[in-house]
Amino acid sequence: MKRPLKKLLIANRGEIALRVIRSARLLGLKTVAVFSEADRASAHVAEADHARFIGPASPAESYLNIDAVMRAAIDSGADAIHPGYGFLSERPAFARAVEDAGLIFVGPSSAAMGAVGDKVAARRLAMGAGVPVVPGIETADAASVRTFAKKVGYPILVKASAGGGGRGMRVGEEASTLEAALESAAREAEAAFGDGRIFVEKYLGKPRHIEVQILGDSHGKIVALGERECSIQRRHQKLIEESPSVAVDEKLRAQICDAAIRLASAVGYQSAGTVEFLLQDGEFYLLEVNARLQVEHPVTEIRFGCDLVAEQLRIAAGEHVSDLGAPRGATIECRITAEDAEHGFRPAVGHLSYLHLPNAPGVRVDTFLTEGVEIGAYYDSLLAKVIAYGASREEARRRMLMALDDIAIVGINHSTAFLREVIASEHFARGELSTHFVDDHFTGWRPDAAIEKAALIAAALVAARALGNRESGSSNANGKIERRDQSPWSTLGGFQLWERR
Amino acid sequence: MGGGPAHEVEIVSMLDGGIAVRIDGEEISATMETLADGSAMLAIGDRRHRISGTKRGNSILVAAGAMSAEYQIVEARGSSRQVGLTAPTVDAPMPGAVLKILVEEGARVATNDPLIVLEAMKTETTLSAESPAVIKRVCVEVGQRVDHGATLIELGPVPEK
Repeated sequence: MKRPLKKLLIANRGEIALRVIRSARLLGLKTVAVFSEADRASAHVAEADHARFIGPASPAESYLNIDAVMRAAIDSGADAIHPGYGFLSERPAFARAVEDAGLIFVGPSSAAMGAVGDKVAARRLAMGAGVPVVPGIETADAASVRTFAKKVGYPILVKASAGGGGRGMRVGEEASTLEAALESAAREAEAAFGDGRIFVEKYLGKPRHIEVQILGDSHGKIVALGERECSIQRRHQKLIEESPSVAVDEKLRAQICDAAIRLASAVGYQSAGTVEFLLQDGEFYLLEVNARLQVEHPVTEIRFGCDLVAEQLRIAAGEHVSDLGAPRGATIECRITAEDAEHGFRPAVGHLSYLHLPNAPGVRVDTFLTEGVEIGAYYDSLLAKVIAYGASREEARRRMLMALDDIAIVGINHSTAFLREVIASEHFARGELSTHFVDDHFTGWRPDAAIEKAALIAAALVAARALGNRESGSSNANGKIERRDQSPWSTLGGFQLWERR
Repeated sequence: MGGGPAHEVEIVSMLDGGIAVRIDGEEISATMETLADGSAMLAIGDRRHRISGTKRGNSILVAAGAMSAEYQIVEARGSSRQVGLTAPTVDAPMPGAVLKILVEEGARVATNDPLIVLEAMKTETTLSAESPAVIKRVCVEVGQRVDHGATLIELGPVPEK
């Protein structure tokens, strides 16, 4: 049944809101942005045809507020809602509210989302569909967990049932720290998802993270668009994703894609989704199902030459999933985050005063950044996604290196220098990846000396008022008058610089 | 937190397209071409870096290729006898809430000892001692919301025997 969409509300912010607006526009839809107090001047607000204010900066009062988002949708006359990723994207209650209001939710049905979104339910579903799962136990009771751990051996992994993105996840290394791990995971899960339920799995040694992109339509067809490898993570959050995986051959690809389709079929999955697996010693196990568009979807888009958001919108309008043909080449994505990689990836905030982004053949950048943007602590730390394509993995890797070298951001600490070193490393070049890659090879990482010297020279030049001084006010503050035709360098001396931590 | 390593940087000479600097006594020459947007391309050996920066308050914020950094001027045209100091305070690296305080006033801590746990963006961040110190004062309480840069703990030097 076809039901053409006319006006799409995007219940999100940042780069993904911009990304969705562009595909909606491609298909001729009007767009409605929503924004919090902190986002009045954000790019997605300017980019959309209409924008609605939905509340204070705190996510719980705006982007996570189902009533506020629904009111914006109804008041603006939207007939469909795209949730993006994060925020309300995987809350069955939100999908249900959209359905109940007679609008179209661009994603799976609330029932399918509910069936796969809860990790414990997804495990049971997988077992029923013949999809392998990691041995586990569905309880938070310390005594039972201790018995389970004794059976399968330490360490064990504590996970949030409602979890995702590594939040509410803890490793129980030994019996003595087990209770602390259970408590801490439950507390973080409660804070992040409003649901403190947890479960426990055997901890796999050094697996790879392999996931399958699926697309299902309302006519019962589900296709798998190959795999992505997302093994480069820290604290269980992805930093670098690529496709294809060097660890997946044709035979394994067929098996793992087939497993993903079986699982999705079991719930009549529609729209874009991702089935995540861990791969170790040639065996794969279900990790979780992400019932939404993922951050790293461009990795698949570039290899297939497709637009997954446009596919989602067509599917939501009742059309058949497109024939996407065979993938080509290799793609790598780096997530640039507002984080201090030198100090345990702690979140960074600030005012962006200078921005240079790469622009080259085979390089795509998805971002909401502009000069002048304020990065606060309210939202996800993702600043930009850099995606590089190559005929081979090595070509994509070399393109990525050049692209990362061409990024310059003043005012906000970010992870690019770290990502560059990972991409440049021998282990990454050889494809020797595991989810422990960062811990194994980059513990105690510091920027290399060459780049640090360049930073010190830049700082000295700023101190001397000779570089990027657009914000620093008058350069005559000390009464020195510089004539345009006179070199400012004659007045330079030495500076002692003290690095802020 | 308060301060990292100190560096002495001196711009020795600037000629058209070239720059010579002395960083902690090491002489470095580089080529440099300024660009219309206020940035410059700096080439040291065979590595090229796009550099830019700005001064805000007492801080100098810079980008050098993929790296961003923040510096403070300790002393302009000072002597080279500056030695490293211990960070005198532990400051909040971002806005958030105090989840746990792991030390008491008067306690002696070693490098890397965890001091305080903050929660920001739904993630727990543990701040640890960057050098041996004595906890002079704990300035916050559990549950308190803190702004970026707020002083959480004051540190003092470990008394010499």
